[in-house]
Amino acid sequence: MATDMIKIAGVSKVYDTTQRGRHVALGDISIDIAEGQFVSILGPSGCGKSTLLYILGGFVEATTGQVLVNGQKVTGPGPDRGPVFQEFALFPWKTVLGNVMYGPLQQGLSKEAATARARELLVLVHLQNYEGFYPKELSGGMKQRVALARTLAYGPKILLMDEPFGALDAYTRTRLQNELLDIWGRDRKTVMFVTHSVEEAVFLSDRVFVMTKSPGHIRKVFDIDLPRPRVRAELLLDRRYQDYVIAIERLMDEQIEEIA
Amino acid sequence: MARLNAIPGVPVLIACLAILLIWDLLSRVVMVSGLPPPWGALQEVPVILTDKESLVNILASLRRMSIGFSLAVAFAVPVGLLMGRSRLVAAFFNPLFMIIYPVPKAALMPIIMLWLGVGEMSKILVIFLGVSLPVIYHSYQGSKAVEEKMLWSAAAMGLGPMARLLRVVFPAALPEIMVGCRTGVVLALITMVTSEMIARQTGIGNIFFNALDMAQYDTVYAMIIVIGILGFLCDWGFEAVRRMLLGWAAPVHDIAVGSA
Ligand SMILES: Nc1ncnc2c1ncn2[C@@H]1O[C@H](COP(=O)(O)OP(=O)(O)OP(=O)(O)O)[C@@H](O)[C@H]1O
Ligand SMILES: [Mg+2]
Repeated sequence: MATDMIKIAGVSKVYDTTQRGRHVALGDISIDIAEGQFVSILGPSGCGKSTLLYILGGFVEATTGQVLVNGQKVTGPGPDRGPVFQEFALFPWKTVLGNVMYGPLQQGLSKEAATARARELLVLVHLQNYEGFYPKELSGGMKQRVALARTLAYGPKILLMDEPFGALDAYTRTRLQNELLDIWGRDRKTVMFVTHSVEEAVFLSDRVFVMTKSPGHIRKVFDIDLPRPRVRAELLLDRRYQDYVIAIERLMDEQIEEIA
Repeated sequence: MARLNAIPGVPVLIACLAILLIWDLLSRVVMVSGLPPPWGALQEVPVILTDKESLVNILASLRRMSIGFSLAVAFAVPVGLLMGRSRLVAAFFNPLFMIIYPVPKAALMPIIMLWLGVGEMSKILVIFLGVSLPVIYHSYQGSKAVEEKMLWSAAAMGLGPMARLLRVVFPAALPEIMVGCRTGVVLALITMVTSEMIARQTGIGNIFFNALDMAQYDTVYAMIIVIGILGFLCDWGFEAVRRMLLGWAAPVHDIAVGSA
């Protein structure tokens, strides 16, 4: 058993809003994630999945509890945790290459070294022919590939992905899922992946956390015991895959009935 | 028509001709000495532009205008950017600007002359005031609108607050800043002329209002044409710079000119 890379202990978040007073955005969350694990988080809209990810990234401060990464308390953002957002958040004034080089340059690499590093990553995400393009000239799927490359470029040990494929069409989405698994398989970073798609979570993950409705707690953890490397066409026919998907969907339907 | 439109400069020429024709018609209908036909004024334009003393005056005006404009931009952009990122700074400056905004800047000229005398400083200060507000306003809006996830992505790469302001907020807000600057150029021209109306010694306004006093209407209208051409050239030059700097951005909506 590998050591715990991420320890989330009793984390909750309360927003103080001027109009609606105190608003509990995230219940009491405690999770440990081992190094190299691919973990997904599922839960109803508004239950606090993004909030949890932002706290891990150090972008938002937890109200109670703490997050330890490699034994160190998280106090702010850092290059050990790389975010990938649904909104891409690329720098529009930089070209594709400029975006991907940004992190390496920031880490003090020379221009040549940063360019070389960025080019490697662009090959990895199949965008080597687009390095001179500006973000506005790219499709959604291409933008998310650039965003992923930009984050990978500064070598974070942990990837924090918030519905990264949520804005993409079904076909692009499955392609990017395959590419992500491919990339992940090379050096097995620790990944925390937020999604609304049960299939996506099961297909990608070692473990799937299902949260309750807002303010979210962890309701159930599923260990996804499916062999890797995973091939989509095979998995779809695999009984165990289907069972996971059905069990998780049932659990989430129950919750929706509880709300209604 | 469509083909004519495609040739650069043709629509402008047509518009100018139309104005001259309307002017000519009006002057025949109204028949007052204050509205001579355009042709005398047109002949006067080259005379003014080749007269050494007039040129000295015009250059003095342009010099004041560029100094006032540059100082205003150097002051307004940082203030606006900080206001957009810090609620404290915004809360401090907002009421201040609310009060100054509706005041016609040239109306402050007599008071400013009490402090700084009738020389260059007063006129530059009035231009500075006129240009600052739209540039602050647009920098503020641009800075406020910067996507939070973009700043988080930069923070994860290790950019501190100052670096984020300079290297993310500033370029991201640049399209909006340039809208403010473009309004500012026009306002600089307007405040420049009006300030010279109040404190006459040199400058375009000086020629203009002296001619008006002496009922030399051809010169008066020739000066209006010269000022119009200057405004057009400034705006055109500005657009060229904007296009060069902001090829990466989506095209900006056309602007409305604010009040002086
Ligand atoms: N800045 C904020 N101020 C106040 N409340 C907030 C803020 N951000 C989020 N919230 C609230 O926190 C709760 C959790 O939001 P969050 O975005 O984490 O949910 P989510 O699970 O990611 O939802 P979705 O699946 O729709 O993305 C919501 O009820 C939301 O209204
Ligand atoms: Mg979310």
